[in-house]
Amino acid sequence: MVKHLLAFPDLCTGCNRCAYVCSAVKEGLFIPLRARVHVQNFPLHGYSVPCICFQCPKPECLEACPEKAIYKNDEEIVLVDKEKCNGCGECVPACPYGMIDLGPDNLAYKCDYCGGEPACVQECAPGAIVFIEPEREQKKIKALQMKHRVASGTPEEKRRARAEVFLKEARPARAASA
Amino acid sequence: MNLYAGQVLRVDLSKGELSKEPLREEWLKDYWGCWGLAVKYFCELVPPTTAPFSPANALVIMTGPLAGTLAPTSSRFCLVSKSAHTGTIFESNMGGAFGPELKFAGYDGIIITGRADSLVYIRIKDGEVGLEEASAMTGQGIFETEALLKEALSPEAKVLAIGPAGENMITFACVGSEAYRQMGRGGAGAIFGSKNLKGIVCRGTGGVRVADLEAFRRKEAHWTQTSLLTEDNLWAKSDGTSILVDVTNEMGLHPTRNFSLGVNEDHAALGPEAVRQAKLADRACASCPLGCGKFTHINGAEVEGPEYETLSLTGSNCQMNQLEQVIRFNRLCDDLGLDTISTGNIVALAMDLTESGRHDFNLRFGQPEDYLAVVTEIATLSTARGKDLALGTKKLAEKYDAQDLSTEIKGSEFPAYDPRGDYGMGLAYATSERGACHLRAFTIFTSDHFNIEALAQDVVNGQNLNAIKWSMCFCDFWGTVNTVIMADLLTAGLGRPVAPEELNRAGERIWNLARLYNLKAGFTAADDRLPRKIMEQKLGNGPNEGRVFRKEDFERMLQIYYRLRGWDAKGAPTKGKLAELGLQPL
Repeated sequence: MVKHLLAFPDLCTGCNRCAYVCSAVKEGLFIPLRARVHVQNFPLHGYSVPCICFQCPKPECLEACPEKAIYKNDEEIVLVDKEKCNGCGECVPACPYGMIDLGPDNLAYKCDYCGGEPACVQECAPGAIVFIEPEREQKKIKALQMKHRVASGTPEEKRRARAEVFLKEARPARAASA
Repeated sequence: MNLYAGQVLRVDLSKGELSKEPLREEWLKDYWGCWGLAVKYFCELVPPTTAPFSPANALVIMTGPLAGTLAPTSSRFCLVSKSAHTGTIFESNMGGAFGPELKFAGYDGIIITGRADSLVYIRIKDGEVGLEEASAMTGQGIFETEALLKEALSPEAKVLAIGPAGENMITFACVGSEAYRQMGRGGAGAIFGSKNLKGIVCRGTGGVRVADLEAFRRKEAHWTQTSLLTEDNLWAKSDGTSILVDVTNEMGLHPTRNFSLGVNEDHAALGPEAVRQAKLADRACASCPLGCGKFTHINGAEVEGPEYETLSLTGSNCQMNQLEQVIRFNRLCDDLGLDTISTGNIVALAMDLTESGRHDFNLRFGQPEDYLAVVTEIATLSTARGKDLALGTKKLAEKYDAQDLSTEIKGSEFPAYDPRGDYGMGLAYATSERGACHLRAFTIFTSDHFNIEALAQDVVNGQNLNAIKWSMCFCDFWGTVNTVIMADLLTAGLGRPVAPEELNRAGERIWNLARLYNLKAGFTAADDRLPRKIMEQKLGNGPNEGRVFRKEDFERMLQIYYRLRGWDAKGAPTKGKLAELGLQPL
């Protein structure tokens, strides 16, 4: 069985250690904006949403790429071949979750599960991001999370909009002013 | 540059000008960052006799070298200014997420001088900075102001804001951020208000570089596992600060009924179990694996908190043994922008004056309606009662001849540890640079609460360690951090060897510099004193029933403290001590 990254917003404290470590591992400095995992914080409502790449079964980023630079490996991880990527950016608006972007080198970047030992999971003290072979219940949770898709906006705007949907579900009374 | 951004933003509100200047790198080896560096900048900029509400007073906001890295709890940052509440130099620090964001935007700190002609806010988006009109936000609470400022710049932006209390220059008004985080004490909010500064919004898309990332990550992981996430500190994760409700009641130094009792018989209503029942979520500041924040909800009232100080000073001290009401009071203070420690003390004093027949504020211990109503009255100065309480404990007590009932030192209201139950806290409060404060030295976990000599040394050690700790800046709740750990992380971060001894000396230096400033501002040994209540009124119940902290004992302890510090009998650093620390007289 294959391991998946799973996010549990109810457990997320908003600490951002996942984004800090991811950016350090991938970019060589602490720059959470360029992490491959993000946290949306709603401090007024005491709620946070970790945004992870779902390594989609039918990845829109893969399908949008005219250079066939995005592919799936044997562990079902969706990867960018930097040699083939020409920086056209078609994958960016294609992702309904805002989880792929172009870097300062003008190449696409996304979560690659750190080759099998995701650094974000190691840093997550409350266990809001885990890396496991999912049971049926957990597969359902992931499927439900994947249902919230956003058609337009920058990756940052898409992540925010999605997180606001989760917020409304978790904090119905107060979420009117997110 | 490694760790530091290397740049400070200067804002002159009088001229409406912003500029960027290089960080004073020559000060880093002696003052390091955050508190230490902010004190140094402040001392160079603002004469000690400056009036706090004058445009010549400055707000020095400063992050530490480790802000924006994976070093746990390093997101804390501070503000240094001259307080209108106490007249002293003061530092006020805050967690949340603004500190790292400022660093990512490219600034180690912000230095604000002058006064704007009308209400403004500072806007920072990486290198693009400016002053913007804020008159539309006049009178808005902190929560709404944060929402408006984020809307104007980015949902990912971080904000510092004041509410109506700061705009009205209530001297104990706070600055808020991320809704429920504050620069709580010293009245930073009032200084913002005096400068017509409604807030600061910042979005930073850059990063923080370290010299040896592999070593830094390895060391950080090591210290997080072996020092931070250990039994000594994990109370913060499991319970949060509410655990201190049980601890201080057991010790018999829990502020109850305007500091007349040391045990609240009903403290279970405000303790960790009660908070756990009401908890919806654990919350953390940026970079912190502990997540001490407890987001609570009862009957439609919610807040991240209440923290220990609030539970005891606005709870037990007001005999408000209903968590729901304390949550409501807390939320009002957070939104309107009032320090809960000060406000809790003041309301309890007003309750005491009312119930003892000395002046009727229509505030009674345990009565919730007026207890809640008065918070807004204070912040907005909307009633005679509100205006009176807005004076703060010191001036309120002077006005109503109630200095036997009040609990303040240098005007700063007491935190939630009764010195009659621990002499160390009495000395800590009396010698703190910003008036009564529990975040300079903290002695309650000692074996002998009344050993004057041992506690005097503990207070010196605690103040020196916290001075360098808040210069990194690390959180109070990493209780086991020390200068060995700090030096190890800084070595990997800076790419040059840093020794614990340099940091130890820096802590003592920072403490002495703040002392020099206060002496020049006109403070003397006579101001390092205890209130009459603590010296004369016997604690009314519990393990410390009958105790006072006698004046003679305090004076003896103070002299021991001065001697240990290398200060003369008048509490001034000697020439020898200054030379040892590389300090010039101011």
